Amino acid sequence: MHLSNLKILNIIANKKSTFIKTGIFSAIAACWGVILVGTFITFK
Amino acid sequence: MDVFLPIAQVFINPVEILLISAIVGVLSGLFGVGGGFLMTPFLIFMGVPPAYAVANEANNILATSVSGSTTHWLKNTLDYKMGLMIVIGGTIGTVLGIFTFTYFKDIGKIDTVISLAYMYILAIIGTLMLVESLGEIDKAKKNIVEKKKLHVHYWIHGLPFRMRFPKSKLYESIFTPIVIGLIVGFIAAIMGIGGAFILVPAMIYIIKMPTKLVPGTSLFVTIFVSVIVTFLHSINYGSIDLMLVLMLVVGSIVGVQVGQKLGEQIDSSGLKALLAILLLIVGIVIAYDTFFAEEVKNGVTSVSSPDLNFFSKFIKEFSEDMPFFYGLFSILFAIILGIGAAFIRRSISKFREKYFKKTVKQSK
Repeated sequence: MHLSNLKILNIIANKKSTFIKTGIFSAIAACWGVILVGTFITFK
Repeated sequence: MDVFLPIAQVFINPVEILLISAIVGVLSGLFGVGGGFLMTPFLIFMGVPPAYAVANEANNILATSVSGSTTHWLKNTLDYKMGLMIVIGGTIGTVLGIFTFTYFKDIGKIDTVISLAYMYILAIIGTLMLVESLGEIDKAKKNIVEKKKLHVHYWIHGLPFRMRFPKSKLYESIFTPIVIGLIVGFIAAIMGIGGAFILVPAMIYIIKMPTKLVPGTSLFVTIFVSVIVTFLHSINYGSIDLMLVLMLVVGSIVGVQVGQKLGEQIDSSGLKALLAILLLIVGIVIAYDTFFAEEVKNGVTSVSSPDLNFFSKFIKEFSEDMPFFYGLFSILFAIILGIGAAFIRRSISKFREKYFKKTVKQSK
């Protein structure tokens, strides 16, 4: 395997937890978005 | 094979109810949370009208909390004095909650209010749990150990009308447990939950009770709150369906035992994130159901007068003719089931201990 490919894999492994956290926080944000927008539309 | 619920007036699948209440029971036993905030939404998804789901889940919580509380009573891990203070607030809160419930029922908005309350509570708990569990996982990875102060005093601890609580070794204002009870009772009456998710953190972080006394005392309070909720729902709306309660109690009591055993064997802190995700998903499904799926909701089969069997007829007539005694009967029914389950569990564990000791002696 090329050295450049290995570098990319290492970067991905290092950033894994950051990716997971970003995913989870976006999911929470989406959940709250659905709830708040739904409440707003219903009461409007 | 569907069964007709004579009071809730809907068909349900008993195997599904047993299975789901058992799964929720396992989660309750594993994570030490009450199953109410998961089971009531599941009942609503299965077609049980929200007002009925709330009342019947409150009766189920009564049985499971009696069962758990009996176990703690046998182990002497209960602070009755503190529990009674919370119960005083809980009683006032429950009555206020029932008035609010009646108001929203009268204006025809109770189903929306219940759905909205669940959606927000599940989203809040789910978010907090997820953030906390991610933090825990992060700390465990980095091996960070936090130093905590032994005792921190807030303004709450300086309130008047102080009383001694010898079992918890506390000297505290009676306002704190009463106000906490009031909030728990109010929420329990509207949502049909035990309120342990508020009570347990409040007892640990606000009242500062010793952790070993918290689960037993919380269950002790839940008994009184769920008795009042069950009784008031029964005499005001006749919404307790003993057939549904029986299925819920059997499933959840078995599930809780399995969950507690599993909890002793595996480390559940890593699984906390999964429970948090489950709560968020349930919150989103309720949101979808409330805001975007009106047609599906209205399509639930509701039968007015089918051919009822003897048991269903008896329940229906008993509930309509004598609502007061029916309420008392449903409370007694749940208490007997709960105490029975606690003693069966104790005898099984004694039998296992004896059997285990015998086999160990024989092997020696």
